[in-house]
Amino acid sequence: MEILETLAAIGKSIIPVLRGTEITVALTFSLLAIGLMMGLPLALGQVYGNKIISTIIVVYERTFRSIPALVLLFLFYFGPATFGIYISPFLAAILALGFRSSAYQSQIFRGAIQSIGQGQMMAARSLGMSKLKAIIYIILPLVLRRSIPSWSNEYSSVLKDTALAFAIGVIDLNRWGWRIAIRTQDPIIVFLVIGVIYFFLTLAGTRFLRWLEKELKIPGFQSRDTIG
Amino acid sequence: MGRRKVVSVLMVLVWGIVLTLGISCLSLAQEKPTYKVVSDISWPPFEMVDEQGNYVGFDLDVMRAIADLKGYNIEIKDLSFDSIIPAVAAGLADIGASGFTITEEREKQVDFSNSYWTSDQAIIIRADSGLNIATALSSGRKVGAQRGTTGADWIQTNLIDQGIKVELKLYETYPLAVLDLINGNLDAVIQDEPATRASLKKQESLSLAGIIITGEEFGFLVAEGDPKGILPKINQGMAELKASGEWEKLIAQYFGD
Repeated sequence: MEILETLAAIGKSIIPVLRGTEITVALTFSLLAIGLMMGLPLALGQVYGNKIISTIIVVYERTFRSIPALVLLFLFYFGPATFGIYISPFLAAILALGFRSSAYQSQIFRGAIQSIGQGQMMAARSLGMSKLKAIIYIILPLVLRRSIPSWSNEYSSVLKDTALAFAIGVIDLNRWGWRIAIRTQDPIIVFLVIGVIYFFLTLAGTRFLRWLEKELKIPGFQSRDTIG
Repeated sequence: MGRRKVVSVLMVLVWGIVLTLGISCLSLAQEKPTYKVVSDISWPPFEMVDEQGNYVGFDLDVMRAIADLKGYNIEIKDLSFDSIIPAVAAGLADIGASGFTITEEREKQVDFSNSYWTSDQAIIIRADSGLNIATALSSGRKVGAQRGTTGADWIQTNLIDQGIKVELKLYETYPLAVLDLINGNLDAVIQDEPATRASLKKQESLSLAGIIITGEEFGFLVAEGDPKGILPKINQGMAELKASGEWEKLIAQYFGD
């Protein structure tokens, strides 16, 4: 009976829970977008850039991969305030987790770039393409395809990192779980339901990426078959 | 040509929006100041969320009533307890209203209003454990508390620092400590009295072992030195609420049976 009561309490708060879910999804997509927009150039710079550029990128990447997400959240929210710059918790969370994701994503793309045979670049150059053109038209289309499986891993990982953002006041799905758990005094059932929502968000995203991977597969001899 | 037109129309639109927003912000600013109130909205009956997701509770209703009386607007934000003092000290928020006990330690970082509540610490145990307040707090017992609270402090300074070897376990929030008590991982939980009474109503397997009279005073807090001059408004507002009887009504609403 208690379980039913708790489920009914969650049911009555379904609108706020959905609002929290929306915040979680919005935060995930925004930080992944920042991570993608920065991660790809970072990877290209690390592989094709000169010594100075690649050193700077390595320092950036190591820094953001070494600091815990929670510490980054505090730094991005409380840090600017000490200089009189006040940003919203949501923006601070997007920036902190987005920069962090860009460091991780740069390594996904770097791995994909380095997995592509030297021959592709040489062939493109021998056809008269500039290095930039070869990267844009030959290397990148291959790299992006190959990155999808690891990128899907990054998606499912950052989706759950967003649950940390309440520490600086982002009212996400996780926080709504807390609120209902405190009202009902029945945290187990509430967090099982919240866990199920996270599960389906993860499943939807990874399923979509798997579909995209198959859809974009280069057909023909020697193409790597997608399993599953 | 087509694309250029679209671009220029977009530009006009964007500037229009920016200007209207700017003007509306300015006019709002001239009318009434808006203060940002932060609270960890997970501590019934002082601050909690109702089923529709509205922020309610004694602290928040007092904040709203004072804002109405003294002619300013408030915007209430939910923030974890540990982050409230840093946020107010950094200027990210103006007022902290989250059942804060006035302590010397906290006075170093922020300024407090007059006290609005006096609370003692309550010790709860499992009803079938056969413990009492003395045996529950003796050497070898496990006692749970919420991190950063005065209850946790009390156990540290009055028991552990005095050589009584209780094991203090800290939790992110009070209900987690209660859950661990029910599960048998703790022998007792310490927490402010009103919140304890609120949760005892819902948990029949627990009982009150006793009250430790600490006489802690709760206050609302603002940044050190009160740069925006908010404290006089809060103090006057509280006095006016008490004089008009509104204060007693709020107490009956949230603490009455």
